[in-house]
Amino acid sequence: MADEKSGAAAGAATVPAAVAGAAAAAGGTVVEGRPEPSFEWMGLTNQWGVRVKPGEHGLRLGDLNVGIYGEVPEVWDDQTRRPRGALPRPGIPPLPYNLRAKHQMWADCAADLYEEAIQRRWIPATDVPWATLQPLPEAVERALCQVCTEIMQYANTEIEIITYWQDQMSYGYYEVKQYLAAATFDCARHIEVLRKRALANGGGLGLESKGAVNRMILESRGGWTESVVYLYLLRGTFVMQLLRNLLSSAHNDAERVIWSHMIEDHARHLTYGYDHLKYAVTHQEGEASVLQTLLTIGEAMMGAELKDGVLRSAMAIILGGGLEGGRTVGMESYLHLVGDYLRDYLALCDWLGVPRADQLNPSLSKYLEY
Amino acid sequence: MSEAPVTEQEYELDTSWMSTMGEWGMRAEPGKRGLTLEDIRIGSYGELPDISDNMSGHPRGAAQRPDAYRVGGYGVRTLAEIWLDNATFLYEEALQRQWSSATDIPWETVEPLPDEVEEAECLLCTFFNEVEFVAGDVPARWIAQTTPDYLEPRHVLLAQVMDEARHMDVFRKRALANGGGLMRMSGATSGFVGSIDLARDFTEMSTRLHISGEGAVLTMFRMGELFGQNEAEKRMYRLCAQDEARHVAFGVMHLRYLNEACPERREEIHAYLDEAEAQIMAGLQNPAGTQAETSEALAILLGGSKSQYDEGHKKLLVIRRRQLKEYMQRVKTAGFGDRFENGRSTIPAQHAAAY
Repeated sequence: MADEKSGAAAGAATVPAAVAGAAAAAGGTVVEGRPEPSFEWMGLTNQWGVRVKPGEHGLRLGDLNVGIYGEVPEVWDDQTRRPRGALPRPGIPPLPYNLRAKHQMWADCAADLYEEAIQRRWIPATDVPWATLQPLPEAVERALCQVCTEIMQYANTEIEIITYWQDQMSYGYYEVKQYLAAATFDCARHIEVLRKRALANGGGLGLESKGAVNRMILESRGGWTESVVYLYLLRGTFVMQLLRNLLSSAHNDAERVIWSHMIEDHARHLTYGYDHLKYAVTHQEGEASVLQTLLTIGEAMMGAELKDGVLRSAMAIILGGGLEGGRTVGMESYLHLVGDYLRDYLALCDWLGVPRADQLNPSLSKYLEY
Repeated sequence: MSEAPVTEQEYELDTSWMSTMGEWGMRAEPGKRGLTLEDIRIGSYGELPDISDNMSGHPRGAAQRPDAYRVGGYGVRTLAEIWLDNATFLYEEALQRQWSSATDIPWETVEPLPDEVEEAECLLCTFFNEVEFVAGDVPARWIAQTTPDYLEPRHVLLAQVMDEARHMDVFRKRALANGGGLMRMSGATSGFVGSIDLARDFTEMSTRLHISGEGAVLTMFRMGELFGQNEAEKRMYRLCAQDEARHVAFGVMHLRYLNEACPERREEIHAYLDEAEAQIMAGLQNPAGTQAETSEALAILLGGSKSQYDEGHKKLLVIRRRQLKEYMQRVKTAGFGDRFENGRSTIPAQHAAAY
């Protein structure tokens, strides 16, 4: 049915409904009553007869990639909101979709991560056993509130940079846009749950971050890939170490639930980020060397931020169980945390084909002794 | 992971920040709905600045560092521009009512339909895909421009972006699940002057998106019981309506707040409503409108077949009347009902003519 009619449709100079709308708004005539139906839209499709069946995990986004609907082009020049696989309509003015190449945003795992985010949704108001919170020594409570404040600001940065790029991504790669919608919703939940934790146990919020790395992420306007380098590879890998250590030193079930859910969410964010960078490096000539440059700059910023005493001291107090322990085993644990982060980071850089071990900024390499 | 530390070396510990934290001694208590966002609006943390000077992106109530970078550049930083009184409720409800299009829709109830009915459903799904694109993209853009001091409305918008992603995916799934496919795009959601896309002011955008655009779509979703051909479609429309109602509520409550806080902007808001009524409610970008292709598809679905088009069209008129009635109610609730009484709006006349 489709083939013979779609050709006619593509060539037809049909006036878009919205153009007629704009004319009417400017004083044109609106047809009232019951216009005679034309049914001219019938039969206008690129591919008919698609029958996707749900599998054991239901009907997932990735299952829909059949026939032409699964063809993901290297470049998507259509700047309208045409769903991938739908028939275009001539005469539609373009929208500012500035990211139109697959290598600028793609990750093969995006559709699966989107479905996983939905399946693993959680609700801070009711899924966290808030009644298990118990008063903590003041120094520990202050340290925990400080860390909550800092991580809230990380999550806020993640929201702001994703939403900056989101509406510039074209619909040829809608799976990525879907996934990013879930990622920002995760971040909203993280801000919410950390604010709740900070205000629920006799404490309050802490001191804001100086924001060197936040600024670097927000200023990465050269493309979404650049943002991913800073947001996930450089900062996100560190955040995962923070969350793991916070989980291992949780004081009660409420904190255990918070940190374990956040780890689960953050792991999805990192999976997308790493997978996208791998795709970009392997599909865009010269991308590896761009990443090398970005990381040279980014490592210096990260090194400067790690030098700041606030987060390191707060983490040391948590890991050491108080001020005294913070000065010894707590700080030692924190330094090992940073060392672990850098070992993860270097391994990821190797996997990406952007080796950094020989060029790692000295402000970071010093932590590798731990 | 590296080996556990065994050293007894003493390190320097900076504790100076402990004396420069936000207000201390907060002990928010969970209520019968758990620990909600509303429950933590306590002490200074519940105080909302009328104008936000937060340019470093810090959480509201955190202590400020004099050497923090100014990274914000937020365009939306006056309370009246974005606030609504029930944002915390809408956000918590969004979390409670998330659903999965993969597993919460009984896809097994989708049965082969006559080609003309399947085509009508697929045309509608293609159109809704485009609509949901707008409703996801545009709020996302405004989130990045809004100060984090107003985290409650920001969080509702983040939930909306997630909802719209799910709507987009469920309509794509439906189009590809029953022997059909996507059809020709409508193009009705492109960015023309006066469109949702191009709004330069948040309230302008919200008026067009939430009140007129999503309001019209909400009525459609609610009537999904009438044109859904099986339980899968009926549930799909039901769940989408539930989400859409929150988005519309955001727009209505925000407009109400703005009306009370900034009465000097009333005439400007009326001008947005004039445009919205001409472009969206009059039926040109409205799936149940008088000239849209989608209205033909709807008439087929409502009638059950092409041969029952007239019967379907009568039901379509019911939907259209209901759209207009619900729209008027929303605008009245927001405080702009005078436009229906002083002759400025043509909606009452359209409503009367739709019988």
